[in-house]
Amino acid sequence: MRELFHHLWNAVRSDRLAIFGLSVLCILITLALLAPIIATHDPTEMNYRAEGSALWIEGGQTYLDAGVTEYSLRSVATDDGGFTAVGEKGTIAVYRGTRADGTWEIIDTGHEATLRSVAVDTGTGGAPALAVGDGGLILYRDGMGAWHREHAPGDHSLNGAALAASARTAGEVLRLAVGEVGTVLVSRVDSRGKSLDGATAVTPWERIPPGVTRDLLDVALADDAFGFVVGQRGTILRWNGTDLEAMESPTFRDLLAVAVRDRDYALAVGERGTVLLWDGQVWSEMSGPLSRSLRSVSIGEDGRAIVVGNFGDMMALENGAWRRLDSGYDRHFRGSTVVGEAYLAVGTDPYVNALASPSRDHLFGTTHNGRDIFSQVLYGGRTALAIGFLAAIMVTVIGTNVGLVSGYFGGRTDSVLMRIVDIMYALPLEPFAMILVLVWRPGVGVIILAVGLLTWRTTARLIRSQVLSIVRRPFVKAARMAGSGHARIMYVHIAPNVLPLTFLQLAVAMAFAITAEATLSFLGLGPPRLYSWGTILHQARLSGAWRTAWWWIVPPGVLIMITVVSVFFVSRALEVVANPRLRRQ
Amino acid sequence: MQNVILRRVAGAVFTMWIILTILFFLFRLGLPDPTVALVSDGLSPDDRAIVMQRFGLDRPLHEQYFIYLRNAVTGELGRSFHYNAPVAGLIGERFLNTIVLMIPALILSYTIGPLLGVMLAWKRGSKLEVGGITTGLVLRSAPMFWTGMLAVMVFGIWFGWFPTSGMRTFPYTATGFLDKILTVDFLRHLIMPTIVITLYYTGLPMLIMRNTMLEVMGDDFIEFAHARGLGARRVMYRHAARNALLPVITQLAITVGLAAGGQVVVEVVFSWPGLGLEMFNAVRTSDYPLAQASFMLLAGLVLLMNLIVDMIYTWLDPRISFSSEGGR
Repeated sequence: MRELFHHLWNAVRSDRLAIFGLSVLCILITLALLAPIIATHDPTEMNYRAEGSALWIEGGQTYLDAGVTEYSLRSVATDDGGFTAVGEKGTIAVYRGTRADGTWEIIDTGHEATLRSVAVDTGTGGAPALAVGDGGLILYRDGMGAWHREHAPGDHSLNGAALAASARTAGEVLRLAVGEVGTVLVSRVDSRGKSLDGATAVTPWERIPPGVTRDLLDVALADDAFGFVVGQRGTILRWNGTDLEAMESPTFRDLLAVAVRDRDYALAVGERGTVLLWDGQVWSEMSGPLSRSLRSVSIGEDGRAIVVGNFGDMMALENGAWRRLDSGYDRHFRGSTVVGEAYLAVGTDPYVNALASPSRDHLFGTTHNGRDIFSQVLYGGRTALAIGFLAAIMVTVIGTNVGLVSGYFGGRTDSVLMRIVDIMYALPLEPFAMILVLVWRPGVGVIILAVGLLTWRTTARLIRSQVLSIVRRPFVKAARMAGSGHARIMYVHIAPNVLPLTFLQLAVAMAFAITAEATLSFLGLGPPRLYSWGTILHQARLSGAWRTAWWWIVPPGVLIMITVVSVFFVSRALEVVANPRLRRQ
Repeated sequence: MQNVILRRVAGAVFTMWIILTILFFLFRLGLPDPTVALVSDGLSPDDRAIVMQRFGLDRPLHEQYFIYLRNAVTGELGRSFHYNAPVAGLIGERFLNTIVLMIPALILSYTIGPLLGVMLAWKRGSKLEVGGITTGLVLRSAPMFWTGMLAVMVFGIWFGWFPTSGMRTFPYTATGFLDKILTVDFLRHLIMPTIVITLYYTGLPMLIMRNTMLEVMGDDFIEFAHARGLGARRVMYRHAARNALLPVITQLAITVGLAAGGQVVVEVVFSWPGLGLEMFNAVRTSDYPLAQASFMLLAGLVLLMNLIVDMIYTWLDPRISFSSEGGR
């Protein structure tokens, strides 16, 4: 036995391709064993990603500006010469220019709290802007263009901001902020952002006694004496210039956003696709094509409107009817604005990072439900190698024994066994495995059984023919004379002579078993909860994404190929030991 | 000669009988309730009784077995649950679709493979030989379904050179099978899957041909042919190759069986409406009669093709000594 291994090792050592193959196999086995350590993610876990992104919708096309900031953007408003968006971690992102040609500038405000809403009054000189957020954070950009913090009475989180120029006094600006538990804050400032009496440096925000205790979620103004506030459970309040009055609402669902163009036209949206229309007299419910929560609504000068929501939901109101827009992305959008003929939406809260191409986070990208392919491939290697090895062992054990018995006894035993081998050659593997799955169910057992039952045929034939030539040799006859039993002669005297061939067949069987496992798993016949290279490709096919997501189908296939070809390289060297005829060449 | 053919046919019939028997026992004994394999769930009790009676499911097991064999021979294979139509009518055309994809690819690989093998043996020791062997091994190790997926992605989607699924572009009108396949559109659909199958199966005959060529080239008659002053090309291709061909033919017989199984994945990847895809769908929808009949037909196809290969072998080498090499 030791001598045999010595022979085999020498054969491998003298063949450069075989050394290469053996090294690659060692690496693959190491990777498979260490999979839990090397894997960067749990292969079954969906991966989420949060980022501040903007999406342009123009002429039926969408253009994504992914990853403008690291943090989710919550709201956006049209600004002088561009837009201003706000988001988590006090982020303010300013865009200047047109869609095709423009740049984002990120303003570091130094605040940790999330900014939830931003409003800009482009009608007033210097375009004052107001951003509000969690913990009562208020940031104001005065006519000079600098953002500074203002202190709110109380620390209730603020969800909505609006501002409008005064109709009576030039340069005077009305500002409104609404938030949780019925918080409504009002303040009036001059163009330089100073309070009107000019007395104090700290801008006085005045708290209006809340008529409600529900959370107020958004506010919009047509002018300084007309606007709406919306909130939980269908709350709608009207701003009349000095205070708020409750309005009759056609819904009990939470209203998440409101937009007002003038005193005769306003829209409010909310949970479960709720859309409300203000026609100057009453609020009434409209029917729209979306059924999930709608997070933001904006109205353009010409009356067109855009509504956005989670999972890339979008619809536009054009010529009096809502039309669903295909954003092409699963990202969540929270803010919107109308830009001439185009629309702009910003987001995105943690969304399923589906079909991401390779990046530093995900070395081989992600699947259609955001699973990490690199980790799947690593774990898949374990399954592929383990099943391949088990099946190959089974094939070799059955094949060698059948070959030994068949060749040793000959006669009727031989013809019956070889008849069975012939039948095995007529059974196509994949269809046979499918029948097994039909009778039982997909799993490791079915794969090993199918490969094991059908592919010992070649091993049996080859071992048999070698046994046939050994049986006639004198030492076998001598053993028989000495009174050795059949089993002893077969396993003690003959078997060692066919061992090199058995090892060769083990290698060939392993190459075949790995391919077969991949093929059967690709057909969905493998264990459903266990990743193997074939299963990964099966899921890629099922998702339909395999036609474009190259990062999903290339790695598992390349690994199958490398593994099998390495086994081939090694087996070529073993062949020289097993088949003495080749040694002469 | 005739005797040999008769013996081969008898052997094939015997094998088919065994396969049918295995199938019978798998379905009757493997399933907790064998009736699910033949009787659709949604049937009314009356219809159920009729089907049960037709397949003899109310009789003892051995009688069921003979009814099953009789049905298999007469083509009474039950009704597909999914299509609610007799299975026999469904799989006829699928079978032709499978043949029309499989046979050209096999012929191609077993023509190109041996020719390349001769060349490798001829250029023995050169870089070409090492490259050829490595390429052959690599092609054999890339699973067909994967190369198929890559081909669809690269040449079908990115470059848009070839259609990616089916046999014809919809909508089309064809009155018969020949009418359907004798078009340029069909050829365009055929090219990609054919190349994928051919690439996979070319490696083995090439390598086997090279090995046997190297053995044959040491034989006396080759040296004699050289000595007679025949050209090198003529000696290689006419004298040596002809004698080295037998192991390749043996391998062809084995490959036929593998190809009939491998056909399933190719048809799945290319949505080729053949027997393999039909069976794949039948297994997914637990359409037992359809799956069973598809399997019988695929096994029958393997036997038939093996029979043909046997004939070729007998014709090439009247000594008919079977031995196998290499592949599984």
